[in-house]
Order: sequence, then C-alpha cells, then structure tokens
Amino acid sequence: MTTSILDPTTWTMRREEEVMGTVVVLDVYADASVTCDELSPSLRAAIHELHEADRIFSTYDPASALSRVRAGTLDLANAPRVISDVLELCRDARELSDGWFNPWGLAEGVDPTGYVKGWAAQRALEQLRAGPARAAMVNAAGDLVCYGVPIPGELFRVGIVDPFRPDSFVALADLRAALATSGTYERGAHLIDPFTGRADARLASASVSGPDLGMCDALATALCVAGEEMLATIHSLAGYEAFVVGLDGTRRWTTGFALAGVTDYDLTAAG
Amino acid sequence: MTTRRTPMVVLGTLVGLVAIGSFRASPAALSMTTTAPAPTSVTATSRTTPTSTNHSTTTPSAVRSQTGSTVNYNYGTLAVSVTVQGKTITNISVPSLNDGGNSYSQSLDSMSIPILTKEAMAAQSASIQSVSGASYTSAGFIQSLQSALTALGI
Repeated sequence: MTTSILDPTTWTMRREEEVMGTVVVLDVYADASVTCDELSPSLRAAIHELHEADRIFSTYDPASALSRVRAGTLDLANAPRVISDVLELCRDARELSDGWFNPWGLAEGVDPTGYVKGWAAQRALEQLRAGPARAAMVNAAGDLVCYGVPIPGELFRVGIVDPFRPDSFVALADLRAALATSGTYERGAHLIDPFTGRADARLASASVSGPDLGMCDALATALCVAGEEMLATIHSLAGYEAFVVGLDGTRRWTTGFALAGVTDYDLTAAG
Repeated sequence: MTTRRTPMVVLGTLVGLVAIGSFRASPAALSMTTTAPAPTSVTATSRTTPTSTNHSTTTPSAVRSQTGSTVNYNYGTLAVSVTVQGKTITNISVPSLNDGGNSYSQSLDSMSIPILTKEAMAAQSASIQSVSGASYTSAGFIQSLQSALTALGI
C-alpha cells in the first residue's frame, strides 16, 4: 500500500508546557488553510485547563483547594465544583477496578492525583478538539490522549517504554484516543496495594487504552498493582484494552489492544 | 501492514527539523514548523525499528556536540549534552547529574533519564509520534537541552 507520508497541506505545532510538576507536550496538526492565529485560542484554552487543574488539585501546595479539603479547612461544598466531579469519577474508577484503584486507601486522606493528571490532559485535548486543528495529541509525562490522525489514513503510533530497559520500547501501539502506562520503575507513591497498604505491584508495567485518559490512568495503576488477572476485567469494560509486562518480562495483552508491533522480536512469534 | 510508512532514512531529516523546532519553544513562544512534502521516489520497505536513530543523511554534515547549562530540577542539578549532525540530533546524554546523594532520587534518575533521552530522540523518528511510559519528565532536562541547541545555533 502506498501512502503519502508527509502531507504538504498540513502543518504541525508543538507546545511544551511546564505544569503539574512535569512537562506536558501538546502536538497539534492543522490544515494549511488554518492560520496560527486561528489555532491559538484553542491552544491557550488547553494550556489553561492544565494550569487550572494544577492550581486546584496540587497536593504540594498547601493553599490549593484540594489541600484545604484534605486538611479539613475547606468544605467540599464550598470547594471548586471540579473537585467533587473528580472524586465522583474516582469512585467510578474504584468500582470498575474492583477496588484496586483507591484514592481513599492512603493514610494521608483522599488523594485523587492518580486520576487528575490524565483527567486534566483529557480536558486539554477537548479544548483542542473544539478548535480548528484536525488532529492533536497531549502527552502528560507518558500518559497520552489524541484525536484525529497525524497523516491521512494513519493512526497516531506510539512506543511503550520497556520497564526493564527504559531506553527501549517493549511494544508499539496505534492510538485512537487515550493510553496510560504505569510501572514499578516510576515514582512509586501511587503504586500502593490498597488492600495491604504496602508498596507493591504484581506487574513491571501496565498500559491501558480507552476513550478517557483519566480512567486509563486509574485502570493502569490498578492493573499494575492487581496483576494480570485483572486483564479480563479491563477487557470487559467497553472500549478499554490493556497490555502488560510481567515481573518476569512476559508480555500479555487483551485481544482488542491495538498492538502495532513489538520491537525486539517478531509479533507473530509472540503469539 | 509493515509497509505503511516509508523508511526513516528519508523522514529522519524532515521530522528531525520538526523536533528541533519544538525544542526551540520558549515558555512564552509557540514553535511552528511546516512539514515538507515527501519525495515522490520513496520506496516502501519494512518498518525500521523506532529505537534506531541512525538517520543516514545523504548530504555530509558536520558532527558537533554541546553541553547545555547546568540547571536545577526537582531533585538536584543536571546538564544535558547533545550531538547533532547538521540539524539532526544524533545523541543525547546527561554527563552531569547531582542529586545530593539522595538514593531515592538516584534510582529515579537512573530510570528517568534514559526515558527522557528516548523521548527526545523518538521525536525525530518517523515511525512514532509519542512515547507512553511511567516517566518522570524533567523540565530541567528540556531547559538544558534547549540551551545546548541554542549554543549550536540550531
């Protein structure tokens, strides 16, 4: 099949924004007929979403609304509405993950941080979607969400980091919406087994794809702690699929996961 | 399905320019690049692995290296070194990393720095658009890399 690789009628813009204690990368793909000025409002709105989420949900800032709710100095009813919204979504995630994702399982009080980054990136993407760009991707420190296609006829393709060799990929995936990856090689605070309270994980890495990045993020965290027995649970959720790397390096994935290849051996050999 | 994309040999340079453009973005400015049309004589072959970064540029270009300024990040200081051939990044390393002997931070760094390197390099690969991983992305890494590229006039 022959395809045009770089479409001369398309231009791209990348913005790297320091926010939420990390760098969020926003890639925008627009038709040549769209001007930078026409695109800018949606990009600004997307970036504003990220900073708003940071301002409201930061657990590092004792003055943030979430910190004050946690400290008991601010009533949830008087806090920004989005805090209640996110906690409600966290309850959904806790239920869908059979309790393996549990922001209420920590001694320090409710911590929805494991949901917020993906949630905020998803909201940023929705701002871009409302603008004139025909495709966009937001990468919040390894958790991704996109719409559209970067090249006509081709999906966004992304690499999944090998948990045992972080300078390599363990697999490639085609992306229609969101993909989040959790691993024991990252900052570990949220990889705590909610049933034992101990820092524990049964997988080296867990990736979850699906329609919403906040939910993908929560499910990836849950899956990493719960182990591969949870693959069936995720597969049963409409639109959600998963790819995992076991502590022994074994790779498994649900049948609907859009695996585009594995990097160091042939996909067909992997079964 | 292995012929969906052309070899990176051709695209490395084009996309490399896009990636470098991205690193020039200052917090206050937007970076914008226009993708160039692909050569019509491209022959589709098997996909190259996205981990490869050996873009064989046909025009000889000087190989140059530059270490960026030492910057603060969450757990200490770091400096990023970049090697370019022409305008294409061929290598990124972190020769200077001081995290004050914090063992938690060290284990973090040993994992996160390769991911950051990977991510910066992957931006030049025609095969993929992004990287998913449990990564800790350091703004300091970007900042130092930017200063190195600026020093190289890229």
